[in-house]
Amino acid sequence: MSVKDIKKTNLPIDPRSAILLLFIANVVGFMQDSLLVEFATFTALTILLVYCGCVRQGLKWGLIFGLVLALQYHIFLIVPPFVAASFTVLFVYIRKMLPCLMIGTIIVRKIHMRYLLLALRKWRVPQKLIIPLSVTLRYFPAIKEEIMHIRDAMKLRRINGIERFECLVVPLIVSAAGTAEELAAAAVTRGIDNPVKKTSAVDIRFSPIDYISLAAGVLLVGAAFCL
Amino acid sequence: MPETKQSRILKGKELITIGIFSAIYFAINFLFMLLGAFHPIMWIFMPAFIALFTGIPFMIMTAKVQKPFAVAIMGAITALIYFATGQFTMVILITFVTSCTLAEICRRATKYNSFWGNTLAFAFFSLGMTGSPLPVWLFRDDFFAQIRDQGIPADYLVSIESLASTEMLFAMLAAPFLLAIIGSFIAKALTKKHFKKAGIV
Repeated sequence: MSVKDIKKTNLPIDPRSAILLLFIANVVGFMQDSLLVEFATFTALTILLVYCGCVRQGLKWGLIFGLVLALQYHIFLIVPPFVAASFTVLFVYIRKMLPCLMIGTIIVRKIHMRYLLLALRKWRVPQKLIIPLSVTLRYFPAIKEEIMHIRDAMKLRRINGIERFECLVVPLIVSAAGTAEELAAAAVTRGIDNPVKKTSAVDIRFSPIDYISLAAGVLLVGAAFCL
Repeated sequence: MPETKQSRILKGKELITIGIFSAIYFAINFLFMLLGAFHPIMWIFMPAFIALFTGIPFMIMTAKVQKPFAVAIMGAITALIYFATGQFTMVILITFVTSCTLAEICRRATKYNSFWGNTLAFAFFSLGMTGSPLPVWLFRDDFFAQIRDQGIPADYLVSIESLASTEMLFAMLAAPFLLAIIGSFIAKALTKKHFKKAGIV
């Protein structure tokens, strides 16, 4: 993607309000214990997802939410207790995490990493935290890929038992260290250690949807506290 | 290396190293977090399992980055990503800040390059995750009232309540500390066997 293309991309929502909404979703998920607030949060977020163009993801989360509720309130009353009990914790987790996962969907699908970093920089988050954080987030897919390759290689050589652990970890760490070297060389060449204030080719700005969604978020926090 | 003020500041290269090893740390951490959702006992000993298996990325990272705040940044990244997945509570925040501070003090006192200093720092760092099951003891009554409402059968509840004993609390706190030390010895053995030869540390 060239700089010009990025400039043209319209963000459905400002990354700063997305991060704030994530925070709000955390608070609401933690505080609330009324079904009404849970439904209200869910509906508001579904509207936001559809507005941002993630219709299919909206449907997917809706299905999961419905399924969890159905299992918890209907199916679990008739299955053996130990089955119900082992899954209850998992389902409580899912219900608590759902609002965050929905906003996470928007962030992952619709907001390019550089906008997120720009948002953090505008909030004066220290550069010393922004750099490792962005490296961490970018490296997750690489870990998955790396593990797949290592597993393929292990299959070829028929490695079993405890040896598998060693044969998985060692190449993973070696390749991580290699990547760190290469990435650092590239980043230093591009002036990562330059102490001057970083500039940005793109800009972010609040629009009405940001104010509306943040206001809705504040309302939900209020409701979560009161109900 | 002379310990000038300049050499104490984290450079771009070290920041990237911290970032990459934090990714591996978090991936392992998250795996056990997911396993912990299946059974309470897995959840209570989740910090211990994490300590056992994350020794390798932590110890390699501390060996490569012998400067202040490396561990604090690793903790901050873990905390931020947990926050983004909606599992973050005030209790975890407090335990994370405390454990990272202790780990940093520990490393500072041992000049960042001693094995035992880093091991102890890792043991403290591992205690940060105990903030996840800690509410079971801290808000005991609330916690059980909440899960009772969710329709968990009474006999199963008793078995969880017996898990939430004081002895269990000590076990929950001691296990990560001990397993962290074992974990860092695993890292040491692997370093000697592989990573030194590969020229990583």
